[in-house]
Amino acid sequence: MNARILELVGGPLRAMRRATVWWSLGLAALVAGTISVWPAFKGSSGISQAMDQLPSGVVQAFGLQDFGTPAGFLRGNLYDFFVPLLLAAAAVLFVNGQTAGEEASGRMELYLAQPISRRAVLIGRVVAALIALMVVSIVLLLAQLASDAAFDLQIDTGLVLSTIVLSGLLAAFHGSLAVAVAGIRGRPSLVLAIGLGVAFAGLIVNSLFPLSAVLAPWQGLSPWDWAFGGNPLENATDLWRYAALAVPSVILTAVGVFAVARRDISGA
Amino acid sequence: MDRADTVVQIDGLVKHYGNVEAVRGIDLKVARGEVFGFLGPNGSGKSTTIRCLLGLLRPTAGRIGAFGLDATREGVEMRRRLTYVPGELRLPERLTGMELATSFGHLRGGFDPARRDQLAERLRLDLHRHLRDLSTGNRRKIALLLAFLFDAELIVLDEPTIGLDPLMQREFLAMVREARAAGATVFLSSHVMSEVQRAADRVAILRAGKVVAQGTVAELRGRARQRIEVWFEDDPPAAELKALPDMVEPVVDDHRFTATLSGSIQPLLTLLASHRVGSMLVEEPDLEEAFLDLYDGEPA
Repeated sequence: MNARILELVGGPLRAMRRATVWWSLGLAALVAGTISVWPAFKGSSGISQAMDQLPSGVVQAFGLQDFGTPAGFLRGNLYDFFVPLLLAAAAVLFVNGQTAGEEASGRMELYLAQPISRRAVLIGRVVAALIALMVVSIVLLLAQLASDAAFDLQIDTGLVLSTIVLSGLLAAFHGSLAVAVAGIRGRPSLVLAIGLGVAFAGLIVNSLFPLSAVLAPWQGLSPWDWAFGGNPLENATDLWRYAALAVPSVILTAVGVFAVARRDISGA
Repeated sequence: MDRADTVVQIDGLVKHYGNVEAVRGIDLKVARGEVFGFLGPNGSGKSTTIRCLLGLLRPTAGRIGAFGLDATREGVEMRRRLTYVPGELRLPERLTGMELATSFGHLRGGFDPARRDQLAERLRLDLHRHLRDLSTGNRRKIALLLAFLFDAELIVLDEPTIGLDPLMQREFLAMVREARAAGATVFLSSHVMSEVQRAADRVAILRAGKVVAQGTVAELRGRARQRIEVWFEDDPPAAELKALPDMVEPVVDDHRFTATLSGSIQPLLTLLASHRVGSMLVEEPDLEEAFLDLYDGEPA
């Protein structure tokens, strides 16, 4: 690989180094901290009874069913929304920081005055953000597996892996939405509002729509449903679910890459 | 100027931002090997024109480019042959000067560490410091170092000396002259007349998005007003002096005559030849005065 291509990815990656480390440590700590209390819940009927006292809608919306089982515990505490939402936020922030954030700060100016195309610059930054997201996801997976072993949480590694891959892909989907917005308009407030807004909206649709007979059929609109509708901690995940996240991610990235060459770059 | 000699070519450039007409129809050519001064006050459209030239902005109408290449469609190829110092300079703060130079070296190719060190020494720059820790002047020097670090046929400088001390400004002018001597073309935008006056061969003066004057520094000076003071040993020919063409505010006070001349000096010299003149002072106009005149004369 030539020096230019390495620099287009390596430069942004260097700039994201610190953020990547902090996100990795934060998520690893969240996972380890949460699983450390698992022994107190394991097989506890008291918890199930306490849950029975709550309205079923609340239990369902917050993913509290089967709290005493490994899959139910992980789902309710981590993978129903905390971990995927944090990963999605990390992806949107990585992308924003390297695209619209750089542009609004005026730092893109001298960079784009070099003999490189804007599209190459954006693709380099997307690849760098993707690598950072993969690093965070891998650290998360390792923290999960280590904690499972340390606190005797017995769950199939394949199911954990597919759940984390789906979380990563959901994050990549929101990250690529941020790429599309940043490509069309390099304004950080817009990128964050749309990237994080869609993540929250999708979460709400996925959590609350099933509680209403009228809204329930629309749950499928949420990318969260595409990712987790098959309950990946308990069942093997259909391949189409990965594709349902990956394909739109590629399309959204392409939209951003196409759009960025066709507009003005804002100055400082 | 034939096409092969033209480095920068701008034809009917118009750039609007929403309702703001930043550039309202600029035509100009910069010849190979010249230092071209691009003068105008803040907001006159200098930076917008330059950002169009670099392909950062897309023209609303007209064409702009260099080396016969179009800035929008053939920007990468065009930028391979030029370097740039932005007016509003923002550098990646977490990097050191050394890291930034290396990074640009990877992006551009043709990076020579010896030349980097030589320029750093000349500009008195410590490249090991983080850019966030540098003063405005030192950051500007980093940008200058990057612009002169690579072999470029065209060096585009937008307000390059902001924040530089006078010693460094002089060093900068020397670097511009050397680059020119080595065959480079320099496009120098500034609102500091003295800088352009010292460095440029030709100048375009911008006002409110249009070129209001274009020519050599000498030509523009010729169009500028000169202050005249004459001390007569005999009685001054007051009526004849006041009747001379292009005299602004002629005053005869005892043996002294003062006026501002806005045209040719020849009629005055002809008149003075038939009188006994003790001494005479003609203040050479600087471009600043030429500049102000053009502003006064043009409606906004």
